[in-house]
Amino acid sequence: MKLSAHYNKASIIISVSVLLVSGIVYYLIINHIARQQLDSDLSEEVAEVMEYVDVNHRLPKSIEFDEDVTSFVKTNSATFNTVFFDTPYINPKEKETEPGRAVSALVKAGGENYIVTIVESRKNTEYLIQIISIITLALTAVLLIILIITNRYILNGLWRPFYKILQQVKGFNIADTRKAEIVQAKVDEFQELSDAVSKMSSRVTSDYQGLKMFTENASHEMMTPLAVITSKLDILIQDESLRSDQFSQITDIYSAANKLARLNQSLLLLVKIDNNLMPETEALDIKAVIMEKAQQFNELIQNKNITVDLNLDNLEITASKYLMDVLVNNLFSNAIRHNIAGGKIRIKTLGSKLSFQNTSLHPALDPLTIFERFSKGKTSEGTGLGLAIMKNICNLYDFQLSYRYIDGMHSFEIYF
Amino acid sequence: MKLLIIEDEQGLCESIEKYFTGDGSICEVANDLQSAREKIALYEYDGILLDIGLPDGEGFAVLEYLRSTGRNDCVLIISARNSLDDKIKGLNIGADDYITKPFHLAELKARLLAIFRRKAFGGTNTVIHKNITVDLLSRNVAVDDKDIIFTKKEYDILLYFIANKGKVISKNAIAEHLWGDEMDMLDSFDFIYTHIKNLRKKLFDASGLDFITSIYGVGYKFT
Repeated sequence: MKLSAHYNKASIIISVSVLLVSGIVYYLIINHIARQQLDSDLSEEVAEVMEYVDVNHRLPKSIEFDEDVTSFVKTNSATFNTVFFDTPYINPKEKETEPGRAVSALVKAGGENYIVTIVESRKNTEYLIQIISIITLALTAVLLIILIITNRYILNGLWRPFYKILQQVKGFNIADTRKAEIVQAKVDEFQELSDAVSKMSSRVTSDYQGLKMFTENASHEMMTPLAVITSKLDILIQDESLRSDQFSQITDIYSAANKLARLNQSLLLLVKIDNNLMPETEALDIKAVIMEKAQQFNELIQNKNITVDLNLDNLEITASKYLMDVLVNNLFSNAIRHNIAGGKIRIKTLGSKLSFQNTSLHPALDPLTIFERFSKGKTSEGTGLGLAIMKNICNLYDFQLSYRYIDGMHSFEIYF
Repeated sequence: MKLLIIEDEQGLCESIEKYFTGDGSICEVANDLQSAREKIALYEYDGILLDIGLPDGEGFAVLEYLRSTGRNDCVLIISARNSLDDKIKGLNIGADDYITKPFHLAELKARLLAIFRRKAFGGTNTVIHKNITVDLLSRNVAVDDKDIIFTKKEYDILLYFIANKGKVISKNAIAEHLWGDEMDMLDSFDFIYTHIKNLRKKLFDASGLDFITSIYGVGYKFT
């Protein structure tokens, strides 16, 4: 539930209950006032009766009192307290029963004691109360609607910077060197949040850039010592007086130096892809790239007696030729390296999908970790960066790279 | 050949010097931009090996100096940076080739000889070693005037061997020369063995001479 919904819920519950309570109180008060008004009217009527009796020394006729119903009852008691009470009122014209208010009082006329009862219709006051209640209810409804609308719009407006900041945080890409736009908010808290987020992101980005720079420099710096090692070995093997076991150790050093150089080159390539420092993109036919590589790897394929099953349609993509070469190169060398003698490689395109399948002795790999740097099989001779490089290349161009194990074949699929 | 090695890494300089000097070439060394400029101003060289990252500036300055004085020395850039921009920049301002560290000395020599042949000898497009004649344009190889058909890889290895005659060349160097960065498989050594066996046999069949000696599994020597 959104914060504004929570807020709306609470504010509506509170305002409805306050309005209900105040409505009840309001009703009671108005009722009370109306009744007092009626009672004072009735008292006046009684006083008029008294006055009439004082002047005329006889009881007045009922008709002389407008619409009020007056009745006189003879009594023997000399004292009677004036009482007000609710009673039904029979409208003399329409002969209808309406709620009414009555007063009974003692009147002395011609030495006789009478109890006079005057009944007055409450219809008008009831009507007034109804009108007042309807108006009150209508006002309540209008108030509620206005409350909901203002809550929704004003709150949404107030929270807009927050959602903008949230969007920025969600879309934050550490490798992206573009600076995040600072959200301008009228609310101090959001302004602070925005400042904090932009400071944090620029710090993180600059730390990351620093780290990448470090990787790049470190890799470059290592190349010269490696060149020294390789060249010294090249000189060392010129000495033919060395023993055969010494030569075999030199071969191992060559291999290690070679592996280190490759590792360095792979790291540098990763950094370059991350930094988007790649050559210009161009329109390429992936089929042509694959055919060319298949030719280059022909020797290796034949050596392992691997059958290559090519089923390719022309598939035009826009990317750097160099990176596509690296990508297809890695696909081929993995498919060959981990293959079995007499195995199979199946390469096919389907729509915008390229799939690269190979047989292998290795069981299914974990699709979640294989694209991570330095994740590789125990027996693998590779650098452990090949798949990570492929993944990064695909990410760079928004291609989808995935791995599946189907029908006993390792399958790498790329959606261009 | 008279060579100038402009490189600040002492160990590398020594190796290059030793490898090239054994061949009868004369090598001079400059460890920084300043001394490189002085040497170039004084002498002419058949080939210049130029490191881009020097302690007192970028090696590009040497190229600019050569160009501004209208000199046409063969320049091979040796760089620790495998950067396309550097490569393009270097080649644009007059370098003849670009090699990335780490490299094998055999590769360095083959590259330098290739540009030297191309530039210094202008029209000479044949390489002769003993009774082997290689026509670089038609890629035709003849032994005692008898043509021999080689595969592309065998031809490449032969040229590489001739450029580094008398030297022991490691299998790693040959593998890198033939396949570059693209092959990082140990299998490639088997292919080298096969190619060299075929090359050796074809040369032997044509001339009755064995040019290639295998050195304890580490590499080969062509004499």
